[in-house]
Amino acid sequence: MSETPEARAPEAQAPAAKPVAPRAGIAAAAGSRLAAMLLGAACVTWAATPLLAAGWAKTALAVAIVAVGAGALRLAFADLPQPEDQFFLPGYVRAWLAFLAALRALAWEETAVVALLFLEVQHAGTSGHTGRPWHTAALGAGLLGYLLATHIAESGAAPSALLRRHGRLLVAGACLLALAAGVATIPAASGGAGPAVLRVIAAVAVIAATALVLPA
Amino acid sequence: MTSPNGSVLRPAASPGASSPGGASPGASSPAPAGEVPVDWRPSRHARRLLTLAAAALLAALLTRNPALAGVAGPPLLILAMARLTGSRPATLAVRAGLTSTRMYEGEPVAVDVSAADDVDDLRWVFAPGKGIEPGSAVAVNGAAARFAFTVPRWGKRAVGSVTLTLYDRWHLTEGRVTVGLPSVDCYPSPAVQRTEVVLSKLPNRLGEHRARVPGDGTEFNGIREFVPGDRQRAINWPASTRRGRLQVNTFAAERSQDVVLLVDATTDVGEPGTSALDLGLRGAAGAARAYLDGRDRVGVITYQWGGAYWLAPSLGRRQVYKIIDVLLAADTGYARGAVFSRLPRAALPPGALVVAFSPLLDGRFVEALRDMRERGFALIVVDVLNAEPPVRRRFADIAARRIWRMEQQAIRFSLRELGVPVVPWDGGTPLDLPLAPYTRRRFA
Repeated sequence: MSETPEARAPEAQAPAAKPVAPRAGIAAAAGSRLAAMLLGAACVTWAATPLLAAGWAKTALAVAIVAVGAGALRLAFADLPQPEDQFFLPGYVRAWLAFLAALRALAWEETAVVALLFLEVQHAGTSGHTGRPWHTAALGAGLLGYLLATHIAESGAAPSALLRRHGRLLVAGACLLALAAGVATIPAASGGAGPAVLRVIAAVAVIAATALVLPA
Repeated sequence: MTSPNGSVLRPAASPGASSPGGASPGASSPAPAGEVPVDWRPSRHARRLLTLAAAALLAALLTRNPALAGVAGPPLLILAMARLTGSRPATLAVRAGLTSTRMYEGEPVAVDVSAADDVDDLRWVFAPGKGIEPGSAVAVNGAAARFAFTVPRWGKRAVGSVTLTLYDRWHLTEGRVTVGLPSVDCYPSPAVQRTEVVLSKLPNRLGEHRARVPGDGTEFNGIREFVPGDRQRAINWPASTRRGRLQVNTFAAERSQDVVLLVDATTDVGEPGTSALDLGLRGAAGAARAYLDGRDRVGVITYQWGGAYWLAPSLGRRQVYKIIDVLLAADTGYARGAVFSRLPRAALPPGALVVAFSPLLDGRFVEALRDMRERGFALIVVDVLNAEPPVRRRFADIAARRIWRMEQQAIRFSLRELGVPVVPWDGGTPLDLPLAPYTRRRFA
């Protein structure tokens, strides 16, 4: 966009919308940021209980805690501007800027989701073939809420409007979760041709999701 | 005090002091809306949902756990719906305008941005340029936004850019538009100066300063005997009655003077924002305003590597901004092969008052001052040096510091011996205070 105030046209009209001035400081969007942080902490707590000492569970838990914490910090410092290239900065300022850059560059929420699912798999492995289906379904709902809250916090969107649009889909998704958990509780569903069919459906779903999310 | 674009400003505060939230910026100039292409791509939210779905499906496959496959259900549902019902504009009309492209240091300015009204879910993020301090948060949602900012130090500054992010209905794809903002001229905040140094010998030009010679002014000068040709209204009847002969009042002539502001830009020491050059420019801007308000003709010379930039003395409000434009060109950078040129004659009218703002660190500038004094110019030096060599414990460093101090004292002493007053100014107080001994009486 190359228009400048100097390049005025007589037909130019002032915008009809009233300009919105951003609120100062960290208080802006504090509610949604706090909600995202609390949902992340709740997911970690939910997936971690009961605490497992075996295998990679501890590592996955540590990774999840770090990722959720870093994601919360990224949201908290989202309003701090990243300065342009500057020279002769003192060491602590350079360290702070590098920390901010790392917070913003890495995919903390994705890391947390993968680590928590891995932790849930570890739990399922210790509690039988189908694990704890209702616990897993609740974790899935919590993770979806965490991702939605994170997006609301970082995009500044109005939560009510966004959730109203997603309302029917979220209800349908909850039904899917409940259905899957219910299927998992039926012993026959885990034997015979069921797993093979499940694999095929899952593979098709992954391919479809990848195709759907790519831009046209 | 008026701003460079004519709006009323706050009184000049201490130099370098910013005023966030002080005077609110006015309306921006209406810039035409431009259609810009929108670059659409999957949002971070979509990537996270895809990660959740893919990780859950993979875990379900590996562990043969249908409950984990159920975790992938809701995100896949959202992704599928977004794909099926998404509608995205290819271009968008965006306006951007600044409330002012010229301002003083610390004066609040705002950038107004707006997009077409029929687009929902817009997020504006202001990326300030170097030397720009945002006055509030840098991101906001809405069809139009206003970001306030200040420029804490004088100079030509690029304001930065504003990035507009659009979301589709499901917030799974986002379009980005980056709007570049024009650069602004930030003028040094003028120092406060209400009094003036007035020469004892004023040139024969109509003005507002009371001269010693009689003339047609309004200030009473004395009484003399009536001679044919005197105006009758000038007769002093009480004095005529007492002396028995007609006496008339005489009045002092009112003259203006030429003032040349000399800014030493050869060296810049001290903290950025309160450096010697910053103080020099603020002092010169304040002095230019004060003398022009007194109907004097004011010119400026910035003395720097590669020559001197100058503006011949003149009158009027516009001269203030011409002077500040010359000051903005001040550059302390050392240019290889550059030499000092002689001060231009046209910029130094005979009998002018010369007010120099300098840290007196460059010997050649000091020699130029001596040369001017020997040529008969009335000269005042405002010493803007407010930094010293760092304090260290080694004997050699302590000795070097003492020698440096003695050298500085010797420079100032030699100028005073030539009849050139050197007054120190820290930039925080009004210029009237250091100049007080010379504003109370006529300066020779």
